[in-house]
Amino acid sequence: MKTVKPLLRSLFIPTMLFLGACGCCEEVVVPPPPPPPPVVVLPGLGDVFYDFDRSELRADAVGQLRTNANWMAANTANVIVEGHCDERGTSEYNLALGERRANSARDYVINLGIAPARLKAVSYGEEKPFADGHTEEAWAENRRAHFVAE
Amino acid sequence: MIQFFRGIVPGVVTLLFCLVFFPLHLNATEAGEYIAIRKEGTGNVALVLDNLDGKGRKEMRFAQALDAAMHDGLDFTKLFALIPPPLNVKDNSDRKNVVLNFPALTSVGAEVYAGGVVTMKSDTIILDMKVYETAGSKLLMNKTYTGTEADLRSIGHAFCADLVELLTGKKSVFGSKIVFVSNKTGFKEIYACDFDGYGVKQLTNSRSISMNPALSPDGKHLAYIDFTSGRPTLYIRSLVDGGIAAVGKSAVSIDPGWRNNREVAATLSFDGNQEIYLVNINGTLSSRVTNSKSIDISPTFSPDGSKMAFVSSRNGLPQLFIQDIASGQVKRLTFSGRYNTQPSWSPVGDKIVYTTWEKNGEINIFTINADGSGLMQLTQKCGENKSPSWSPDGQMIVFTSNRQGKEKLYVMSSKGGDERLLLQVDGVQTQPSWSLFR
Repeated sequence: MKTVKPLLRSLFIPTMLFLGACGCCEEVVVPPPPPPPPVVVLPGLGDVFYDFDRSELRADAVGQLRTNANWMAANTANVIVEGHCDERGTSEYNLALGERRANSARDYVINLGIAPARLKAVSYGEEKPFADGHTEEAWAENRRAHFVAE
Repeated sequence: MIQFFRGIVPGVVTLLFCLVFFPLHLNATEAGEYIAIRKEGTGNVALVLDNLDGKGRKEMRFAQALDAAMHDGLDFTKLFALIPPPLNVKDNSDRKNVVLNFPALTSVGAEVYAGGVVTMKSDTIILDMKVYETAGSKLLMNKTYTGTEADLRSIGHAFCADLVELLTGKKSVFGSKIVFVSNKTGFKEIYACDFDGYGVKQLTNSRSISMNPALSPDGKHLAYIDFTSGRPTLYIRSLVDGGIAAVGKSAVSIDPGWRNNREVAATLSFDGNQEIYLVNINGTLSSRVTNSKSIDISPTFSPDGSKMAFVSSRNGLPQLFIQDIASGQVKRLTFSGRYNTQPSWSPVGDKIVYTTWEKNGEINIFTINADGSGLMQLTQKCGENKSPSWSPDGQMIVFTSNRQGKEKLYVMSSKGGDERLLLQVDGVQTQPSWSLFR
């Protein structure tokens, strides 16, 4: 009998704790979120980013460019692709590099079936940075192809 | 031994004869010979620029203004060691004629003396200048300059130009202009100033982005890039009648460089690739120069227009190349440095100045001979130094530097050194380009 009592106790206490915890959970449960609106909104145009001194597309750009192509397929607006560079290097070279960035993004969207006439590539080089500052974070922000609906 | 003396005596006699009858300074009968003598010496010409004389109060006021313009102008060139005139430089002990005291001038180390008189004829200012070589008391130049009160600076500089040409045999910087970009108004616009930073004038007012200005060799046209149309477009503006030609092709235009008064080269990408084209001053295409899938930008031409240096990424990183225009043959020019851009070909020779973006983050200015020899670093340890451009005489280089914070315009000697701020204007100044005319 003496050995049964601690055994029962060791079973009883965790059981009570478990039940108590379940009770707690039930108290903070919130009502379920309202159902999503019936109209499906396509994600909008977004920008893609580039590595230092490169104009080739990065692997992480592909998803955004597909999204941009889908948006263009669902909308009639034409799009300007602006190539931008960070402030480093020299401005003439950056103007050239920016155009190549814009072209690589534009070409990818065209390959997804968008009419070439609907996409215009321009370059702003280092002339219109998105982020101020002289840090790697700011530079990474500024190396981009910026999609603008006309 | 006797044989030896017999041989040497006639030589010595001839030498003595020459020294006695043709002393060095007496050979300097004209400017050309004077220059030959100068070249053997080293350093700057030791010059006494005497205070100008004038009879009346008005004359004295103009004389002082001319003095200042001439001093500042000659000092800017760094070609002279300006020595203050000795107190007894003018001797009028006989109370009739003023005689120059040449022994006093030579004793203070002056090689050349320049002085003059200002007189007035109604509203015309007349400056009579005389230049002497002190060693032989020889008159090297005697010239009269005239103008109105508004022309004082250019009257003074006209004399400076003649003096430099007399003593160096080369045309000077006086009268030349520098065009550049400034964001003083909040927009990047194009401005011009005199070679010494004086008289800043705004040339564009597009309230967009204007950049890469370049004056044609005769100074009649300004080529530049402007974003007003929504894309970087090449414009060629006549500074004579104000007419503007735009290169109507689509896509982008980058960094124009003049080949001669009729043709400017620039990168255009209307066919899908960035290539350098020659463009006529009316904006029509003349011919295509480069042919590579890579970036080709920043054309700059040899003085005779037969060769073009430019930047290409055809081997990966941007490097300088030289293309022979007639044959199309291309040769890589730079092999040291991993990011070489912004070439500018000297208007007086075979040197090309450019910038290298170095591993330590600095951007520095270098010169190299067109055959790839003689690489020389001109700036170091002072941040980013960009957009070098030669003065028309090839003696100086204008460039931008952020050494004191914001990017400003600086000038230096073509061999480096004598670096100084060119002008004090609000905001950031970039992309200076020195005119060839003066």
